[in-house]
Amino acid sequence: MTAVIETSKLSKWYGNVLGLSDVSLEIEPGVTGLLGPNGAGKSTFLKLITGQIRPSIGTVRIFDQKVQNNQALFSRIGFCPENDSFYEEMTGWIFLTSLLRLQGFSPAEIRSRAEEALDIVELSADKDRLIRAYSRGMRQRLKFAQAIAHDPEVIILDEPMSGLDPLGKRKLIRLIKAYKERGKTVIVSSHVLPEIEALTRTIILIHQGKVFAKGDIHYIRDLIESHPHMVSIRCPDPRGLAGQFLGEDYVLKVHFGPDGRSVLVETNNRDKFFAVLLSLIVKSRREVEEITSPDDNLQAVFDYLVGK
Amino acid sequence: MTIREKGYMHWDGQLKERRFPWAPITWLGIRLAFKKKYFRFIIFSSFVPAVVFLVGIYISERIEDFQYMLRGNKQMLEVNPAYFKAYLSSDFLLFMMVMILVVSGAGLISDDLKHNSLQLYFARPLSKGSYLIGKANVIVFFLLLLTLVPGLLFVFFKLLFAGNFGFLAAYPWLPLSVIGYSLFVTGFFCAYTLLLSSLSKNRRYVSILIFAVYLFSDILFGFFYENYKKPAFALLSLKENLQQVGAWFFRLKPAHDVPWYWSLLILLAFGVAAAVVMNKRVRGVEVVK
Repeated sequence: MTAVIETSKLSKWYGNVLGLSDVSLEIEPGVTGLLGPNGAGKSTFLKLITGQIRPSIGTVRIFDQKVQNNQALFSRIGFCPENDSFYEEMTGWIFLTSLLRLQGFSPAEIRSRAEEALDIVELSADKDRLIRAYSRGMRQRLKFAQAIAHDPEVIILDEPMSGLDPLGKRKLIRLIKAYKERGKTVIVSSHVLPEIEALTRTIILIHQGKVFAKGDIHYIRDLIESHPHMVSIRCPDPRGLAGQFLGEDYVLKVHFGPDGRSVLVETNNRDKFFAVLLSLIVKSRREVEEITSPDDNLQAVFDYLVGK
Repeated sequence: MTIREKGYMHWDGQLKERRFPWAPITWLGIRLAFKKKYFRFIIFSSFVPAVVFLVGIYISERIEDFQYMLRGNKQMLEVNPAYFKAYLSSDFLLFMMVMILVVSGAGLISDDLKHNSLQLYFARPLSKGSYLIGKANVIVFFLLLLTLVPGLLFVFFKLLFAGNFGFLAAYPWLPLSVIGYSLFVTGFFCAYTLLLSSLSKNRRYVSILIFAVYLFSDILFGFFYENYKKPAFALLSLKENLQQVGAWFFRLKPAHDVPWYWSLLILLAFGVAAAVVMNKRVRGVEVVK
């Protein structure tokens, strides 16, 4: 698959402060989650790929075109900033149509696109109200509407779910996933892990201005050898099951759950452990209620890599 | 079908460049200005001198009919370059221009800074240059409406009322002076307003600044000139500088015995300062160092 966004040795300093360091990566179509704690460099990365700031070193290319001073390229990009960027005394309709006018659409097209975008974010009924009177969630949806109204190929969303209620979040997640299905490239930045986890398995983890990891969450987890994998097994006889593994060199620790019905095994060879576990279950006809990997998720990956 | 199954056709089409990307910004600025009631009042009041001067041109061609009104003050209605300069650099017109800037120009950049809108503008097919041209054109539109349009109409009506081209034959360079001075005043006020507007996020503060700098420079000139009687103090006043340069455009003797190019340099310095400050202040994002 061809990369839509390519960065090469991308670095940015703000005076003596490092914003981003030596970021070389390729982002393919689909949803990519940009993760990192506050101040990690996520916003700097987004500002660099949207051409709002110049890199100190390195290059950014979108659709194989340079971003800096290439205004025409921005007709194919939708950007939803983190902070509010509204004229409070404008109505939602005027705000949206004014921005669409900058894209060079005809008046009829501006109207139809604005109506469609407001419809998607369910703001049609409130389009003639002043933005001043909008709730936080409505403002967030309006920001999203302006990012998608011109039907861009690349949608860049900086903390798009902050301020949304759970229902609004669910709707937005559905909407973003629909864009993925249409072959768009969506980059979503967030420091709220469950939001990203609900959207995608492909992440870029940024911390202290550097890319710590990029790719599928589970693939990244497998690469973290310094932390053994945890496997939790719920069964009627956890102690009997644990006894089967005690002599194995790939099992590092065994804990029992407080309910007395589960065993937590730490292993440095997950594949081998699962192979043995499955054959054990089949051969000795052990009853097993649930097998989970509590650290094979975004939170664990994040914690391991960021060092929390 | 997921994206991985569907694949992706890499886009290799031509990106469209707009011819006038600044036009929507100008249009929005003009529309927002006309929405204000007091702005409409100010702009229509600003046309009063133009109407008066136009009537003057008419009377100058029918001088015998209006003899009883003039009572020997015929030279007041002599339509010549000084007449045009009297209109284009009159205290009242310059004051009204400043009022227009206060109402319609103060928020041009400061509102965008306040509302953090620059990041949305620059995430679209719009360069910083186009953005600034769009903003400047809002001022250009209003100021040329008060300078260039009446100036050229005066020439046109003078010829129309006279019924011959004698006036143009006597002053063939006058239309160029009108165009040149109108553009110069407009250009200066553009730089002046955008410079001050980009200094603050508070539109009210910028409004006060636009008015106060203009007025205070004139008060300063008045104070020093009255006390020391030195014409060089005219360089302290924006209004006097504009009038000095205006005298050069219309081939007249400047009101103060100071070379006109000193005034020109001072006014051009505002343009340079505006370019430097706007380059620093007008950014998609605030860069905190």
